[in-house]
Amino acid sequence: MIKIVSGHSYPDGSTVALVNLCNQLNSRGHNCVFYGPDSWHLDKCKSGTPHEFRTEDGDAILLHGIELLTIAGLQSLELTISEAAKNQIWRNMWSAVSEILFPASTSKKFMLVLSCREADSSHKAALRYSLFNKIHFVSGMQINFNRVKRQRFICPDFLNALVPSDNKPEKAAGIIGSISKANATKENIEMALEAGMETVILYGFLADPIYFYQNIVPLTKSHPGKIKFAGFNDDQQKMYDSVSDVYASVNRPLSKVPRECALTNTRYHGVEIGQDEFLTNDQIYRIWKNELGLG
Amino acid sequence: MMHQVAEKTFVGDFYKLCNMLKAREPFAFNRFSDGELYILQNKELILDTQQVKVGAKVTDGIYKAEDHKRFHPDEHSFYRDRLVDAFRYQAKNYFNGLSCRCCVGEENFQWQLDFHGNYDENYTWANLLVNGNYPRFIHEMYPLFNNYKTIFVCNEKADLSTLPFLAKDFRVGYNAMVNDYGLIETMKNWIDENDIEGHLFLFSASSFSKMAIHQLYEHSPENTYIDVGTTLNPFMDMSLDRTYLKSFWLGAKGKDLGKICIW
Repeated sequence: MIKIVSGHSYPDGSTVALVNLCNQLNSRGHNCVFYGPDSWHLDKCKSGTPHEFRTEDGDAILLHGIELLTIAGLQSLELTISEAAKNQIWRNMWSAVSEILFPASTSKKFMLVLSCREADSSHKAALRYSLFNKIHFVSGMQINFNRVKRQRFICPDFLNALVPSDNKPEKAAGIIGSISKANATKENIEMALEAGMETVILYGFLADPIYFYQNIVPLTKSHPGKIKFAGFNDDQQKMYDSVSDVYASVNRPLSKVPRECALTNTRYHGVEIGQDEFLTNDQIYRIWKNELGLG
Repeated sequence: MMHQVAEKTFVGDFYKLCNMLKAREPFAFNRFSDGELYILQNKELILDTQQVKVGAKVTDGIYKAEDHKRFHPDEHSFYRDRLVDAFRYQAKNYFNGLSCRCCVGEENFQWQLDFHGNYDENYTWANLLVNGNYPRFIHEMYPLFNNYKTIFVCNEKADLSTLPFLAKDFRVGYNAMVNDYGLIETMKNWIDENDIEGHLFLFSASSFSKMAIHQLYEHSPENTYIDVGTTLNPFMDMSLDRTYLKSFWLGAKGKDLGKICIW
């Protein structure tokens, strides 16, 4: 059985990608369940909570966003997730020291794969990489940041079926992605407004409300009626149908947005990613099949 | 009388409403907070800049103009009766949010149950969208409003231009429960004349909301009605004077965002 386990399952890009992965594997005849601590994912795919998670012989377990210190931590996943937020300094120190003095070994009963979805995973000091059989990266650009000596593979996210819209609006910009300083939401809005967009719609998880209130709310007042907050929208077709242009000023090598813009005939203003990232869903599936040893 | 409700949780009830929104199943979520509780108890209530008066107890005023309220038991008995109607109304998918024992105390909580008379399985929390559920509301319920043609009923000072789902708005002023009561009939007529079905009505109009939600749901149960209270204030250029808003949007210290209300 394939088990995807994430430290969060609130609505953001990584959760959507894991939901898609779960659905794709099930639709291709495999038995896959996505376990997460929040509720958003529960009606999106074959799913469960950390409380329901158990390891079984022969499992392929894909772990994301959980700072696992021991294999035993998988047996009490709820506790592992909740404890990860506490005593971070002590956990990082303990992990770094024990990784050198007492290197952990992988389980012989199941395959454990670490899924790195962040551009720079090197800050995950409390991760014990030696517990994992393999490390999964979404983009080859991540490997530049990561010096961990484990078997690794690159596999981009599955894409939803998107089609060009027949009736797109004019001068309606979309800012797609979590709303935060790291994603430069404010700069993206300003870029859209300077380009003459009449409406700017924010489609994304509100990752940093304080940033929003301090940086975006003042813009809504200085540009009355132009900036709208939609929040995270899981109907991607509807989202792309509602905008003519998408603005993205930050280099996000993992972003699917440029490809989705191409599929929906939406003008993309931002950093392009390399052609090697553009794989079909069948090609993406073949990578997973090979790396997880699926029959 | 004491009632035990199995597996009724603050988070579970939140997702119950979320799931109904996703399924486009019409419902009404009405909320009776402490202000409405005092009116139901027929206590004189004055909320303004100078004073907060509840019955005979008077403290310093803290309320901004849009939140001013004045209820006098003799002068406003008609409106109190309509509030009682809303409080005692029972119908399929009419969810009545009560002030919880952890927020108004055991005595007031029990008073509500006794005053209602019949136990309603649709009882829920008045605070269902705030406190520990507020991040869930912003992250998971708010985006669902995009799936509806949405009508907003709110203060005349509110700026709704950042809400992408807005189809129409109705405005109220100070002490709307008394001064704008006639708007309920106006809204019923608008619903009838325009064959409004499957729409979402959001209310941020203090005690007026309670009477309007009851009467509009009784009139047109094919629409959904939610009292969002102050939850959307940061999008409406309205004040962030509630503690849970200050904590979420300004990072102010406070325990409200971690508070999971009990039944």
